[in-house]
Amino acid sequence: MLNLLIIGAGPAGLKAAIAAAEQGLNVKVIDEFPKVGGRLLGQLHQEPNGEWWNGMEMGEKLHQKAIRAGVDIQCEVSVVDISQSVSGWTVYTSQGMIEARKLLLATGATETPIPIPGWTLPGVMSIGAAQVMGNVHRVKPGNTCVIIGANVLSMAIANELRLCGIKVKEIVLPAVGPISKDAGIPEKVLASLMKLTHLAPTVILRQAGKLGKFINPSFAIKYFPRRGIKLFGIPIRLKTAAVEIMGEDHVTGVQTVTISSDGKVIPGSEKVTEADFVCIAGGLAPMSELASIVGCSFKYVQELGGHVPVHNERMQTNVPNLFVAGNITGVESAKVAMAQGKVAGLAIASEWKGKRQEIELALTTAMEEVRKTRAEALIQFQPGISEARDTVYHQFTLDELRMKQEVSVS
Amino acid sequence: MSDEKTIICRCEEVSLKTINDTVYQYSCSSREVKLRTRAGMGYCGGRTCRHVIDTIVADLNQKVITDDIQLSYRPPVRPITFGALGGVYHENESC
Ligand SMILES: Cc1cc2nc3c(=O)[nH]c(=O)nc-3n(C[C@H](O)[C@H](O)[C@H](O)COP(=O)(O)OP(=O)(O)OC[C@H]3O[C@@H](n4cnc5c(N)ncnc54)[C@H](O)[C@@H]3O)c2cc1C
Repeated sequence: MLNLLIIGAGPAGLKAAIAAAEQGLNVKVIDEFPKVGGRLLGQLHQEPNGEWWNGMEMGEKLHQKAIRAGVDIQCEVSVVDISQSVSGWTVYTSQGMIEARKLLLATGATETPIPIPGWTLPGVMSIGAAQVMGNVHRVKPGNTCVIIGANVLSMAIANELRLCGIKVKEIVLPAVGPISKDAGIPEKVLASLMKLTHLAPTVILRQAGKLGKFINPSFAIKYFPRRGIKLFGIPIRLKTAAVEIMGEDHVTGVQTVTISSDGKVIPGSEKVTEADFVCIAGGLAPMSELASIVGCSFKYVQELGGHVPVHNERMQTNVPNLFVAGNITGVESAKVAMAQGKVAGLAIASEWKGKRQEIELALTTAMEEVRKTRAEALIQFQPGISEARDTVYHQFTLDELRMKQEVSVS
Repeated sequence: MSDEKTIICRCEEVSLKTINDTVYQYSCSSREVKLRTRAGMGYCGGRTCRHVIDTIVADLNQKVITDDIQLSYRPPVRPITFGALGGVYHENESC
């Protein structure tokens, strides 16, 4: 039987596999995608120091290192169910059943859509789907596009699409409403961009971040030009909102309106921007389905993207022999996911070997590394992540105490 | 107006209007919305729309989203064949 099964061959899963295998554990990694690397595969952006972050190369590096460490990796295997057995875990997949003593869920994050009329037309896709088509499969999703949703992710991917030879006509906001919420209010969008961009991947975003220290966003948005500002030649129009995606059997364009700083529609401002595909960037949420099935308790933390399985800094959940790492614990950058993966791998190895001092020491260093990586993160999807993480760890301690009490009472 | 044209659950073709009306009529949770309208119960198992349903319902009820997951996850979490479900591949049979 396997010592450790890891679900998800993204940066978190691969790093964990390497760390655990290097400690002598017998490790297998499975993933439903045909290629190893998870979300790394699509990533390509420039860092403030001018270096490019090439996710595909990083994924390949980790893949090779895992193989050298003796990890067995299998792709195109979907996990559909998990149950606890006497000796550990039984994992049911599209390719049969796998048994393991310890289990690590590193399933990443999923995108959340912003439904608007016409979003079910062929040619409408999530921003991540466009990234995968262009950067992973090397297929142009179309020639001209409009992106709905202005956030760090959509801006980074807009530039990647441009590099694929696609004309990104504009980045606009979703119309204000119960689903888009703050993502539809120009003032709020600018505020969040300003807060997040102190280390942003582009000059303009960094400038906005610097300004944000001195200028109140509600003041700045008044001076934000109606026609938008340009980033790599792509207009970012925070005062334009998409109300409907047009087309009969395929996208032909997007109907937009001009909006005020608080999202109100300016009458008579309707316009159609032609495009042959449309990307919706609604944000990311931790993919917690498997954690839910095995009975983890959850905490809803908006800064982390939604419901996350309660865990401690060792990446241990409150279900014995079950660990989590990467974006399933909260949406953050690939570098943080890698650092968390290493922690999980070492924590599992330490448990396996009876908390030997040298592994515990390495684990402490690895936990330190997570905090450092987080503080220096180039891409932060939300402000206030460190504080949000502390509330999750605190919940873990509370749950643990409660469980101990229940055991002593019964 | 456009609520009728805004599809929330693509698999079961449930519109925003249907969800709004259901919440107004029964002042109910997202779980009840799911049971009454089939939103989130289609082929994809709610993988696309579950967060949206939670957001809409919390907003209409003027409540915050709680720690407990309202729209529970049920295995199988991916669409699979009856063969795989029935154990065609079990006992490490090669396929
Ligand atoms: C669209 C998108 C774009 C992003 N762009 C960036 C970016 O530019 N820069 C950046 O730093 N971060 C980006 N991120 C954040 C990204 O999630 C992290 O960078 C990082 O990839 C997270 O690593 P992970 O290992 O936790 O998960 P992932 O890299 O997402 O890997 C999880 C893996 O688990 C597999 N999996 C999930 N469920 C199952 C199952 N049931 N059965 C089998 N396999 C399963 C998936 O196929 C996937 O390969 C992006 C995220 C998304 C969704």
